Order: sequence, then structure tokens, then C-alpha cells
Amino acid sequence: MEKVKEKQIFLFHCVEAEDLARKVAAQSDCIQLQSINWRSFDDGFPNLFINNAQDIRGQHVAFLASFSSPAVIFEQLSVIFALPRLFVASFTLVLPFFPTGSFERMEEEGDVATAFTMARILSNIPISRGGPTSLVIYDIHALQERFYFGDHVLPCFETGIPLLKQRLHQLPDADNIIVAFPDDGAWKRFHKLLQHFPMVVCTKVREDDKRIVRIKEGNPAGRHVVIVDDLVQSGGTLIECQKVLAAHGAAKVSAYVTHGVFPKKSWVRFTHENSEGSERAFAYFWITDSCALTVKAIAGRAPFEVLSLAGSIAEALQI
Amino acid sequence: MAATPSRATPALSREFPTLIKTPPSLHLSKPDLSVFLSKQKKQKIIRSELKSFENSHPWNLENDRIHLIHGTSANPMAVAAALDHSSSKRSKKICLFYCAETKALAERVAAEYDGIELRSIRWRTFEDGFPNLFISNAHGIRGQHVAFLASFSSPGVIFEQLSVIYALPRMFISSFTLVLPFFPTGSSERIEEEGDVATAFTLARILSNIPISRGGPTSLVIFDIHALQISIAFPDDGAWKRFNKQLQHFPMIICNKVREGDQRIVRLKEGDPKGRHVVIVDDLVQSGGTLVECQKVLADNGAAKISAYVTHGIFPNRSWERFQHDNGGTPDKGLTYFWITDSCPLTVKEVKNRRPFEILSLAGSIAATLQI
Repeated sequence: MEKVKEKQIFLFHCVEAEDLARKVAAQSDCIQLQSINWRSFDDGFPNLFINNAQDIRGQHVAFLASFSSPAVIFEQLSVIFALPRLFVASFTLVLPFFPTGSFERMEEEGDVATAFTMARILSNIPISRGGPTSLVIYDIHALQERFYFGDHVLPCFETGIPLLKQRLHQLPDADNIIVAFPDDGAWKRFHKLLQHFPMVVCTKVREDDKRIVRIKEGNPAGRHVVIVDDLVQSGGTLIECQKVLAAHGAAKVSAYVTHGVFPKKSWVRFTHENSEGSERAFAYFWITDSCALTVKAIAGRAPFEVLSLAGSIAEALQI
Repeated sequence: MAATPSRATPALSREFPTLIKTPPSLHLSKPDLSVFLSKQKKQKIIRSELKSFENSHPWNLENDRIHLIHGTSANPMAVAAALDHSSSKRSKKICLFYCAETKALAERVAAEYDGIELRSIRWRTFEDGFPNLFISNAHGIRGQHVAFLASFSSPGVIFEQLSVIYALPRMFISSFTLVLPFFPTGSSERIEEEGDVATAFTLARILSNIPISRGGPTSLVIFDIHALQISIAFPDDGAWKRFNKQLQHFPMIICNKVREGDQRIVRLKEGDPKGRHVVIVDDLVQSGGTLVECQKVLADNGAAKISAYVTHGIFPNRSWERFQHDNGGTPDKGLTYFWITDSCPLTVKEVKNRRPFEILSLAGSIAATLQI
């Protein structure tokens, strides 16, 4: 049987995601890194130039984006809207972390869902000769957000869990691992992908004014428990979880999140230099490189380890 | 992106010579300003200003979801008038939302018309920096005409305002108008080679995708970014006493005549003409000496353009001949406009089709007075 020929991909990227883009390009000879001049005019608005625009005609083109804050969205959008119209053969937008929405609750009329805004804007990416833009997102937070996208984009929902599984199998205590979910949402998202691990499911319960994490199902006693979630913000939930698991006899507790958002440097509370000996609460804290700014900040600091999405992205580009 | 053909409703687009390489399927047609202008209550001074406006908007916003209304200056009166027009009914109640930057302008707009009511939005951010927005009393805007006064002064503030702009039309309102007093980007951009990215195009595309409301496409009101702001200059205190109350909404410059030896010189007493289009206002003109002196002083002090208005163009001995058109050049060389009414028919005959003169007819005003 003939092996399907790999596509040549011309990979552009935003400034923040340069390291990840390089890693992706290193995965395959077929992926070539391209560059953009990112400057701004005096009034603060972007002054952008896509280098070698003529060379990408008839080629498969991709853009690795990172919307770490509202301020950087506009300049990247300008490139995202421009690339498909440069006579490329196809266009793929890789947005490993789809931001917004993680805090939002549409509870009453008047609540404004910025996730909806973001999805709407992305759904309006011009089509290219290759048809609708492919949109690659990892572990989207709210499952229903997948329905926010219109027909002019083809969302491709990927996950970082295989990276975690690979890493867990390398651990010396691999056969003593149990996976814990901090709430039902995490369980819904991930339990099917982690079926062959024993599981603990936690839940948040209200006692008077306080929210307390309790174990709903499963037994962590004597185990190396790995708490799994899609993202971390302040880290409060993870810390509460760890306390409960430790109280129920967990031998070790680690954590995995696909997206280490950590606003306002909230990762600090997890680093080993900040906790006393007995309180080195987390043995490992795995994040992917979806959030470039965090990756830079935690480089080399225990217990953090970065699992790279590069290989997964390189494969997704071949779809 | 293929352009939809022109429709009967006032969908405007811009003819645009150089800035963007558009594929042949995108055709741009000449602006149709007549619909907007016919509903304007403003002085004809504004209409003339529009005629000389140079197009520099590099996009075609003509589609099913949005239509573009061109405003001429972002003073509160103009904004209020544009809102009144786009709601297409005189003095219809309008719920006006705004962002932090446009709050002062929104308050002035609401003060102009009784029918415009200010509404608030709670603008906060989540820890991760993304917007946490809440539109107060969302039920109260159902069935109402709604407008949002935006300000895209820097890329960082665009996303939160867009979230509101995309949400409002879906709240069962009867129409939605987006007022952008200043359309950013585009003023520095040139699409000169393939690879140049037009961020104005990006913004136009995003705005073209505003959801449709019950009232149909969003009305997008943009004020001319390059239109020079008008200031009124009075050649002396007398003129100021006569006219200042009627022209209160304009920034003002007052001159006065000073005696130096045997000469009378016009000096600037108050106000700053720098970069402005200054209109000298007086009740009448005879030889024109005062006006010429005024023009010199204003030009010396940095006026970008100078025009004049007098109600009565007496002009004995063809003295109107000393007033030349600036022909797009510097204001010391000539005037952009010289408006007179038709109170002096003999002058009117002589200057009727000569630039910079334009005749503003008293007919309507006289007819109205006769009704009293």
C-alpha cells in the first residue's frame, strides 16, 4: 500500500509562539518556517508585512497563533485574515489555547459571552482556494463552544492527553498511578481518554459560604494521584484537591493541565522553592506549551515540566 | 469576497483608487451621499465640507449585514443627528451605550436630543485579562433602537467593545447603530506590494460581520478621519457679540483691530486656529479689507484652511475680485469657501459661479418667517 505523501507546509507564527513554531518545523522536513515583520505605527496600530508572499502561492499555509491577551489579538487577526487570500492552496489556523469562556457563565440576559465573539471572528476567516480554514484547538474548555463555530471554518479538536499518557508510562511508579478529576466537568472531558487508569472523581460542595472539594468516587490511598484538568488559572481548585487527596492517604500527588494560563504569575504558589519541605505538595506539574508566556516563566522550575505539542501539531497539519 | 450589488436601501461604499489590491470580483461604486444629506438638518456649510472630502477608506462595507453612513464631524450635534437619521424616524427614543473613552461624548450627545437615553455596561476583566462584561437592564432594551458609541483607539481595547457590539443586536432590539467617531488604521497604510497587510481591512471585515438585528443590517456611522475640524473666527468683538450664541457648538477664535501708529492691524485675541478649518463670520463685507487682514493672521497662526461667511455681500466696486480660491493650496493664497446669502442680488449675479463663492439662499427662511 502506498504511503500518502506528506504535504509541504509553510508555517507562519506570532511572536509569542516562535519557540513552539520552531519545534513544530523541526518535526518534519516538510514543514518550513516563514516570517512576518511585526511593527507598529506611531498610533499603536499594527504595521505588518508578510515576507515572501509570492512564494506561498499554491502552497499549504498555516499560522500558529497565541491569544494570550486581548491586546495581541488584533495584529494576529490581521495576518489570519490576509493569508488565505494570497492564493494559497489551503490555510490552517493552529490556536492551541482558545481563550475566554473559562470564567464565563451565561446566567442572565446581559451577560456577554466573549467566547462567542472570539468564535464569531474566527468563523469569519476568508476561505482560501482550499476551502474553509481548518482550525486546530487543543482541549477547548467548554464542550459546547465547539458549536459556536460557523461553516466557514473546520474546527479540529485535539487533545494533549496522549502526551500525558506517554509521560506517565515513563514513570518508575507507572503501575501505581490513579487519575483524579477535580470536578464533573473534567471527568466528562477526559474520562474516555484515560479509561485504563483507575479514577477518583472530586466534586465541589457548598458548606455555608465556603466551597469545599470532596471526593465523590474512588480511593487514592497509597497511590500516586495525577489530577487532570484542561487548564489552570489561580490554581485554587488544584490546591484544594491536593489537600483532600492527601488527607485520604495519597502517597504522591501530581497535576496535569493542557493549558497553564496562570494569570498574574499564580504558578508561583506551586514551585518547590516556595513551599517548605513537607509541603512540596506536587511531585510533578505537567503543562503543555500552549501558553508560551507561562512556559518561559516556569522554565527550569520544579515541579513543572513542559510536554510539547509540537509533534501533535505537526501531525494535525497533515490533515 | 464578492461584493453584493447596490440595493435600494442606502448602502454606501467607497470608490477607492490605490490602497488595496482587490481581486476583480470586488467592485466599488461611487458614494451615494444624497440620502444621508437630504435628511440632514445641519447648515449647508457641512454639505460643502463633504464635497471636498477625499476618500481614503480602503474597504467595501456593502453587504447584507451592514450599511455605512458617513458623518462629517464628531461633535455631539452631528452624532446625535446621525443617530436620529439612522433610526429613520424623527426623535425616536434611542438607547445609547458607550465605552469608557467615549463617555464624555456620549453625555454630550444625549444632552442634544431628548430622545437619546444613556445606558450603562459593566466593564471588568477576569484574572486572565479577558473581558467580563455585563449589559445592565438587558430586558429594558427589547424593542428599542439601540446605538453604541465606540472608540478603537488602540488594538487592546477593540476586543471588549466588539464583544458588546456582537451581543447587542441579538437582544431583541428593534435596530442597531454603531457609531465610530474615529476609524483607526488606514491613515498610515499603503498596500504597495504583496505582503503588505491592511489592518483597516481586518477591522472592516470584523465590523461587516456584526449580527443582524430585527431592524435589519447594522447602521455603521463613521466620521471622516481626515475632515478638518471647523472653528469659527470673529474679525472683531462686534461680530462676536452678534453671533456667538448661535454658533456655540464650534470652537471660537476672536480677532481684534489694533492701532499701531497710523496702521490698523488685525491680531488674534483668543482661540487657536492651528490645523483647523477656520470660517470667518461677519454680518457684511464691504471692501473686504478686514477679512483679508483676518485671513493673514489666521494663516500665519497655522490655520489649515480658511473660509468666510457674511450674510450681506455688499462688495462695492467689484471688491469681491480680491478674493481668490485656494485651489487646494495654502490658506494665505486664498479661501476655500466664501459664503454669502442672496440678500444682495447684484452681487449674487456677479459671483454666482465663481469660486470660492457660494450662495446660500434665504428663501426658506423668509418663507418660514412669512408664516408667523
